[in-house]
Amino acid sequence: MKIRRLALLGSVIVVCLFLLTIQTRGHASRAADLLAMVTTPVQKSLAVVHRGAFGLWSIYVDWKNVRGENRRLREEIQRLRVEALAVTETAEENRRLRRLLDLRARLPLETLPGEIIAREWGGWVRSLTVNRGRGDDVRRLTAVISPDGLVGRVVDVRPGVSVVQVLTDPASTVGAHLLRTRTPGIVEGEPRGTIRFKYMARDAVGFQIGDLVVTSGLGGMFPRGIPIGRVRAIDDRGAALFSYAHLTPVVDFARIDEVLLVTGDRMQDVTAYFSRGG
Amino acid sequence: MRGLLALTVFGGGIAHATLAPALRIADVAPDIPLIVVVLLALRRGSEFGCIGGFAAGLLQDAAGGGLIGVQALTKALVGFGIGTLGARLRVTQPLVQVPGLVFLSVAEGLVRFALLKLFHFPAPFVELMSYVVLPQALYNGFLGAALVLALAWTEARQRDVS
Repeated sequence: MKIRRLALLGSVIVVCLFLLTIQTRGHASRAADLLAMVTTPVQKSLAVVHRGAFGLWSIYVDWKNVRGENRRLREEIQRLRVEALAVTETAEENRRLRRLLDLRARLPLETLPGEIIAREWGGWVRSLTVNRGRGDDVRRLTAVISPDGLVGRVVDVRPGVSVVQVLTDPASTVGAHLLRTRTPGIVEGEPRGTIRFKYMARDAVGFQIGDLVVTSGLGGMFPRGIPIGRVRAIDDRGAALFSYAHLTPVVDFARIDEVLLVTGDRMQDVTAYFSRGG
Repeated sequence: MRGLLALTVFGGGIAHATLAPALRIADVAPDIPLIVVVLLALRRGSEFGCIGGFAAGLLQDAAGGGLIGVQALTKALVGFGIGTLGARLRVTQPLVQVPGLVFLSVAEGLVRFALLKLFHFPAPFVELMSYVVLPQALYNGFLGAALVLALAWTEARQRDVS
């Protein structure tokens, strides 16, 4: 057994020395050829396996990188979306405030800008809370307007805030007239959140869908000519004393964020200062 | 025996071609076939170590483009020596494995250098030792010890399962 092992070692040494010798004596190509006969198939197999393993590894690494990149890109998209929303929101707020300031500068009225900080939309009561109160010299029954038209009136003044009864509140009534025909009437709020124009049936001449109803200025609470709503439908009650026109408010009370409180003289006609389109 | 031998040569070759470049640290790559030959010679004896070392070395020589037969001889000698002494060595401790593999790698490097000198091949001793043999020997030592530990752990798990 020991002799066999030594013989094996001796053979290996002899083969190696033989290979080395023939290479150093200028027969390198022969030795290489001899070896190539044995090693080339093995090397080819190794290369195939290596390439396969390396390919698998590359696929795995690529997959891992793509996964990581995907996660990073998703996070970036989220961040950019939030940023885009913030930018859009800021731009929208900027646009609204510009309109409000533009109206404030244009109107021949003394006004105070305010921001809506709360909404009561239950149905029984429809009101907005504005961040202007007793400290800002806001009085009860102050008219509240927006660049689109009339919002309502202040019904409660508290320290720091005021509660505004909006036109759609069931208890709200505003003296108004049809701008085109000057037909007088009253705009009332309805429990379902809409408004209607109540007028004497005998005055109903030439009513048209889309006609604009504005404040009449009677009673001195609201300046004359502030848009309230457009006629959406006419409810002709025949021989009844009063007829009704259902209106679409020019102000979107659910979305309004900034308002103007008319704090000074309210006896002016402001019809010309509001856009007839809204 | 033949299957295991083929596995040694192929496995070592594949690992060397696939893993060694990936495991390169500061331009030093481990000699994976040497580690495989040593590990299997310890388990299978001197004949296996000799033939496995010869085949793995020959493959490395052919792939490397240097003098054919140098690594075949050095690895065959390492495999034979370790296979012969394996029964008398206590190699289960990393404290033995790391220095042992470092020593074997350095010894293999020295024999390789001697062979190259013998056959008039240009080989600067100091540079070879400083930049190639010693760093690779250290790397072989730690990698080999890690492999031994991994093998021991796997075997222990298999025993627990069975």
